[in-house]
Amino acid sequence: MAIIMAILSGFALTVVAPWLCRLARGATGWIIALQPVGLAFYFASQLHPIAAGGVIALSYPWVPGLGIALSFYVDGLSLLFALLISGIGALVVIYAGGYLGEHPQAGRFYALILMFMASMLGLVLAGNVITMFVFWELTSLSSFLLIGFDHQREAARAAALQALLVTGAGGLALLAGLLLLGQAGGSLELSTLLNEGRAIQSHPLYLSILLLILVGAFTKSAQVPFHFWLPGAMEAPTPVSAYLHSATMVKAGVYLLARLSPVLGGSEAWHYLVTGAGTATMLLGAAVALWQTDLKRILAYSTVSTLGALVLLLGMDTVLSVKAAMLFLLVHALYKGALFLIAGAVDHETGTREVTRLGRLARAMPVTAVAAGLAALSMAGLPPMLGFINKELLYEAKLQAPRASVLVTSAGVLANMFLVAVAGIVGFAPFFGRRADPPRMPHEAPLAMLVGPAVLAGLGLVCGLFPDAASIVVSAAAGAVRAEVTAVELKLWHGINPVLGLSLLTVAAGVGLYAARGFLRRAGSIGDAIGRWGPRRWYSLLLASLNGLARVQTRLLQSGYLRRYLMVIVLTTVALVGSTLLLRGGLTEPVPSLLDARFYEWTIAALILLATLMAVLSPSRLAAAAALSVIGYGVALLYMLFSAPDLAMTQFAVETLTVILFVLVVYRLPRFASLSSRRARLRDAAIALLAGGLMTALVLTAMTLPRDLHLATYFAENSLLLAKGRNVVNAILVDFRALDTLGEITVLAVAGIGIYALLRLRLEEPADSGSSQPEEEV
Amino acid sequence: MEISIAPLNLLAIAPQIVVSVTALVVLLVGLFLPEEHRGRIAWPSLAGVLIAAGLLYYLWDRNDLTLSAMLRTDGYSLFLNLIILIAAALAILFSVDYAGRVRLPRTEYYSLLLLSTTGMMLMTAAVNLITLFLALEMLSIALYVLVGLNRAEQRSGEAAIKYLVLGAFSSGFLLYGMALVYGQVGSMALDDVRVHLLSTGSQSPVLLWLGLGLMLIGFGFKVALVPFHMWTPDVYQGAPTSVTAFMSAGTKVAGFAALGRVTLVAFSGLQNVWIWVLAVLAALTMTIGNLAALRQTNLKRMLAYSSIAHAGYVLVGLTAANRTGLDAVFFYLFIYAFMNTGAFAVLIAAHRLGSSPVAGENLDDLAGLAEHRPWLAAAMALLMFSLTGVPPLAGFLGKLYLFSAAVEAGLIWLAILGVLNSVVSAYYYLRVVVTMYMRDKKGAEVVPAPLCPALQLGIAVAAIATVFWGLWPASILNLVTITTRSFFGG
Repeated sequence: MAIIMAILSGFALTVVAPWLCRLARGATGWIIALQPVGLAFYFASQLHPIAAGGVIALSYPWVPGLGIALSFYVDGLSLLFALLISGIGALVVIYAGGYLGEHPQAGRFYALILMFMASMLGLVLAGNVITMFVFWELTSLSSFLLIGFDHQREAARAAALQALLVTGAGGLALLAGLLLLGQAGGSLELSTLLNEGRAIQSHPLYLSILLLILVGAFTKSAQVPFHFWLPGAMEAPTPVSAYLHSATMVKAGVYLLARLSPVLGGSEAWHYLVTGAGTATMLLGAAVALWQTDLKRILAYSTVSTLGALVLLLGMDTVLSVKAAMLFLLVHALYKGALFLIAGAVDHETGTREVTRLGRLARAMPVTAVAAGLAALSMAGLPPMLGFINKELLYEAKLQAPRASVLVTSAGVLANMFLVAVAGIVGFAPFFGRRADPPRMPHEAPLAMLVGPAVLAGLGLVCGLFPDAASIVVSAAAGAVRAEVTAVELKLWHGINPVLGLSLLTVAAGVGLYAARGFLRRAGSIGDAIGRWGPRRWYSLLLASLNGLARVQTRLLQSGYLRRYLMVIVLTTVALVGSTLLLRGGLTEPVPSLLDARFYEWTIAALILLATLMAVLSPSRLAAAAALSVIGYGVALLYMLFSAPDLAMTQFAVETLTVILFVLVVYRLPRFASLSSRRARLRDAAIALLAGGLMTALVLTAMTLPRDLHLATYFAENSLLLAKGRNVVNAILVDFRALDTLGEITVLAVAGIGIYALLRLRLEEPADSGSSQPEEEV
Repeated sequence: MEISIAPLNLLAIAPQIVVSVTALVVLLVGLFLPEEHRGRIAWPSLAGVLIAAGLLYYLWDRNDLTLSAMLRTDGYSLFLNLIILIAAALAILFSVDYAGRVRLPRTEYYSLLLLSTTGMMLMTAAVNLITLFLALEMLSIALYVLVGLNRAEQRSGEAAIKYLVLGAFSSGFLLYGMALVYGQVGSMALDDVRVHLLSTGSQSPVLLWLGLGLMLIGFGFKVALVPFHMWTPDVYQGAPTSVTAFMSAGTKVAGFAALGRVTLVAFSGLQNVWIWVLAVLAALTMTIGNLAALRQTNLKRMLAYSSIAHAGYVLVGLTAANRTGLDAVFFYLFIYAFMNTGAFAVLIAAHRLGSSPVAGENLDDLAGLAEHRPWLAAAMALLMFSLTGVPPLAGFLGKLYLFSAAVEAGLIWLAILGVLNSVVSAYYYLRVVVTMYMRDKKGAEVVPAPLCPALQLGIAVAAIATVFWGLWPASILNLVTITTRSFFGG
């Protein structure tokens, strides 16, 4: 129950946030933060039972027909994420109070960020994969709205849409994957699926499931080649970047991989796909980060790199690598959250985020500078920070990797060298560097904007010195992922071993890169090259080609001309029905010989054909109408010959009426305009012949069937008996099928009303708009 | 042989009778009302629709054959009729102000709307090819007129002519198909066709194949399946918006009802054949509908294409040909009626806020709507998200249901194609949201026109429905599953 309240309270607060903001103004952030703080304490209180292997599971029916329940499943992994989400959430909300100040749209901002927080909590606590997906999409949606928060700017709008399209598309792939997973595993409940790993891996759909789910996870966690939306998302206000695009939302993909690794992990395909994507992302992100000059973009690319490293660790799928991944999650959230918030504070105070214009801020912003220094130390992996312990564990896991350990270890070292340099650029240079020409002279940031960075960076230090608290959380999470009790002992000093050597190498090379950063920037940029040829280009190409495809098909099918529409319908009919006729062997029965026909029949048939030709070729409407009536009379004569005088009479009457109507209308119409070219006419003639041929074939097929006469005999025998009428046709119309006749009369009455309505309305004035435009162009 | 004539059970078709009688009463009353008071005709029309809906409730667990086994009142028809009546009621609410403003002849308008509704309601109950055809013509002819009722607009007339000519053509195909089936089976009753097919088995005669093919073309036209869809954007754009709203939901329900009875009942013996035809049609319809919608800046055309795409999604459920599939079709049609009519209603509201005769039709007309009409914009955003299939709105659940059914039936490629299509559709639905929320109004003139309360009510109902049935779908799903169980149970 408390779990439900945890999520619902967030959504409830979303609704009241705008009003609250109007009342409390500047203090809104502090007030709203009470909710996540409370949640953080609640989750912390659950730590001990869950670390001991307990699981909170509860379920409410939602869509029973599909096996979808609103169920929750809380184990160590969920708890680690829930703590991060609520804890950092509280700090970010407080920070936002200072960052936004008296922004007119602040209420909307709080509402959205609370909605995100509740959705994200739902995502990590959900116990049914579809429920999880629902929250997954809600996080994408709130991310979209938050990136586009500053919607006056075109760039923000474009970035928001791009982020949503990429993550949304991935999300839908994930949905498809989850549905297939449910099919293969026989349930959508995590608690069941987690035990079905073996059955699912041997299922024929396993590879499709894996690919679809990976696309979902990779788009969300910005893995190569879907990483490009994340730097773009930096258009969002800084608290959003810190919270969504670094600490929580982008980790959702990592969460999913960790969550499903007992089900999907361990196979060859998993190993190569996940490790491969992770390694590429890790290297690319780290390398590009070094060449950026915008503080937020640097941080964004380094986040991309970290996400890659996390994915890589989960791909390796050993006890050690999972432990390292869980610890890394925590460490990264602490230091990167702090650095983002600091970047926001710097931007807020100086008016720029360009690292080339920042320096010597330590004097004006001492608290911020200390926090930045601590966070940067953790990021660089230097003792005594938690980041150091983490890096040791990372290297150890990579050295002991079951496959390609040399490759992953060297990739890891390389990426970390870049990140050491990046840590210097963002955490050290702006505060202690020499260069400085900011647009504004800075002051220390307001209290609300100091709490977050200070707490996060401080935690990095405290947990480094006293790693026991962190090890409880991490071992609970790792135990949940590995589905076995996993003890994690964290300590600062491991003795002199290869890992320490790698660490020293990393730091030395990183410092070197940092020193050479100016030279490297001038030498040219990897980022530019990737920007030119990278997936971002493919994204716009894809959008453009979709648009092109849309245009082509519209031009082809949607001409706005009735005759084209008719042509398509007729051709489709000919193709569909004609092919059935051929494939199913219609027309195989011998057709009654044409020579059996009598002389009269031949004459009338010739007359009908002639009239048809005339109707088609005649330039005058009147002549065409007359020719049509000749056809009708001809058919009526045929009825006579086959001794059906009643039918013939009806046909004569109808034909006569039609001719009169035609003449009345034709009288008021202009002559035929010559609309089609000669070639078009030939094409139309061919189509008409095809359609006519098909109809003839159908009639002939129908004729070969044995005739079923039981209705005819029945009516002939019973019309006098039951309906007291000698005229069988009359009896059928007004007695046996009286209700059909009634129906027909009703239809005619409706038509009458319609015509009456149309006639009564005279065109009052000719509309000044021209004829309709057949197609709109963007 | 003996032809037995069942006792006339008029109670079973009481809802249809009520609606048609209302149509006639409305027509008569209109004659005696002066022009300026004819707007009030909406209220008796609405009352008739609501009474009919009440009768549906009263008839709920019936399974009656009536009128010489021409019509069947069962869960299938009752549930679908409920959807049709909802669409009709919403359309009437949307028309209260709109019909007068664009100067439609209101007496005829409401009367025809109700007659078309009657046709649709008969179609869901029809279990005989003859009644099926009559019901189809009844609803179509009324619609041909409704589409062309706005005489001040040239496009309205053009749309009506296109709809009429193409509709007549496809009706011809349909009738031809029925004739071939009758020629083979010797009966028009769907049950007789089924029995005949079961007895012939895989040796089924070619005439039935041909008949089925021609009938699929006829129904394909009515529910706008690709490649029989080309009329849809032209007609939806030209017709008065309230008519578009009504027909976009109503005809689809009726058409799918007929398609469902014909395929699942009459031609169940040929299931392995039509599944493939329908699967291909569904794939084409989803893809082309969504692709074409991408480039539209006219919202009526965009929604027309989107409705084509949605017909494709629904067809996925029918293609699955299992109980989950039919559950999904029913649930989706139910949700769709709210989503789509609601979206058109927002266009009607935007028309009210603008000054030109085509105001509210273009994407630009919605720019900055969130600024000066926050509730209207919020409702539209909900509807757009729901049409996209964003959780936890009802549209998401509907799609989930449809695609699950396809997976269950082993049509995994179709499910994945459907998901891909949803991605494409997100692009154009979101563009509406972005325009409303993130762009400023050009020209800066904001008409402070009050919106008609009936229109507001209708939009609110539609928007709330998408949220409510997304979060608490159980109420309607229970109804759906009971219905389909009895349908498949025999």
